[in-house]
Order: sequence, then C-alpha cells, then structure tokens
Amino acid sequence: MTERHDHDLGEQFHALRREDVASAPPFHTMLANARARRAKPPRRRVLGLAAAALVVAGVALALLIGRRDRHGMTIDLATVRWEAPTDFLLTLPGDDLLRAVPDLGFTTIDSDRRTP
Amino acid sequence: MSPEALELELDRLHPAAFGWALACCAGDRAAAEDALQTGYLKILDGRARFDGRASFRTWLFALVRNTAAELRRRAALRRLLPLAVLGATPDGRPDPATVLARTEATRRLTTALDTLPRRQREVLHLVFYQDLTIAEAAEVAGVSLGTARTHYERGKAALRKLLKEEPE
Repeated sequence: MTERHDHDLGEQFHALRREDVASAPPFHTMLANARARRAKPPRRRVLGLAAAALVVAGVALALLIGRRDRHGMTIDLATVRWEAPTDFLLTLPGDDLLRAVPDLGFTTIDSDRRTP
Repeated sequence: MSPEALELELDRLHPAAFGWALACCAGDRAAAEDALQTGYLKILDGRARFDGRASFRTWLFALVRNTAAELRRRAALRRLLPLAVLGATPDGRPDPATVLARTEATRRLTTALDTLPRRQREVLHLVFYQDLTIAEAAEVAGVSLGTARTHYERGKAALRKLLKEEPE
C-alpha cells in the first residue's frame, strides 16, 4: 500500500520534472549570461554602494549637526562677563583706592610735621 | 577536473540542477536562474571546488542550495533597506507565469509542497524528483541521515494528507 502510494508520489514528482525540464533555459545561454555578468561590474551593486554611502553620510551629518546644536545650548559661565546698563552708577570717585592693596609702612596722607 | 570536463558535467546535470534551483527558490523562476548562474560562476571562478568527497551531482546540488539561501538572505536584507527601490527584489514566491504553465496535477503538488517546512520539501524533492537516496539527500541538505529520514517520513505523511484533502 505504502509502496504503491510512494510510487504514485514519485509519478507526480516526475511529471513536475518533465515540465521543469521542458521550460529550463539552455545551459549555454545561462553560462554565457553568467560569464557576461562576471565581465562587467554589476550596476545594481554600484548603485547600492552609492546609496549606502549617501545614507551613512546623511546619518553622520545629522549626528554632527545635532551635537553642534547641543554644544551651542550650554553657556560657559567662567568665560562670560555680563555688564548691566546701570553698572556705571556703582563706580565711585576714588574707587581705585579701594581696589588696590595698600603697602605697609607707606602712607598716602601727606602730613606737615612743622605745622602745629 | 579540467574546465572542459567540468563544463560537460554541468551541461549534463543542468536540467536537474534547474529543477533543484526552482525547488530551493519556492518556484520563483528568476530567483532560480539567478542562484544557478551565481553557482556556475562560483565553479568557473574556482571559488567552489569539487574535492571528490561526494558525487559531483550531490556537491553541485549542495552548492546550488547554499547559493539560493545566500541570495534569499541578501534579498531579505535588501527588502528591509530603502535600497529595494534600486531593483526588483525576489520575494521568494512562485512567479505567475510559472504557476500558469503548470498542469492541474503538478499545480496541486507544488501548492501542497509550498505548505510544508523547507527541510521536508527539500528532502522529498531530492528523493522523489531527483531520485537520490535519503543518504544523498542528507548530504545535499547538510543534515544527518537520521534527521533526513525523519523529514522524509513526516514530509511524505503531510504531503499525502494534503493531496488527499485537495479535491481531484
């Protein structure tokens, strides 16, 4: 029973094979196509590589721009000096005396000892 | 093997190799031709060498199977990438022209085979279509003899059931 059924299956597969063989492209045509393919660089591969390079360059550029923008947002407080428009009101006459460190043993007051 | 002898041997096995390539590509004729051409190129360029460990037919079939799998993986990757727009990518389905050219009986058989797992389909094809032994089929499919036998038995039972279910 199984043998006979296997034989039936075999027959069906052989019918499929006959159809495939009838529609198979000739060997020499296929070989010629294969040789032609080997002779010239595949256009699709070149295009694919170019497209891949474009995608990689685009991603790199986007990352670079993104990083630059992020850096632009941060403010280095150590290097920034902000002056208010009313700062001049705070400057006093003789301001430099207050900023300078006085030397010990030296007086800026000129006193005349001869004067009683 | 000299290049001339190699070419003669390939010519002799070409119809069978084409049938096997079709089976590896699930009936997609363009993909099968592509796989076969790539396989022939590998042999002619010396990238694939016959070492005489197996029969030439078994070796060629294993090469075609591996090449078809390689092209299938590349096609799957290409479908994921936007590069798919650059050219038609085989989708691993039988092309309508091939399906139409089949008789009713063989169409039923191929439809039933398409529902089976790949390994089972491959082993059944190699045994019934190519008249290989299960041991040779195991060598082509790259599995152990026991595994090939299991695929053969399970595949045969499933195919028999499917063909019985289908209306005549």
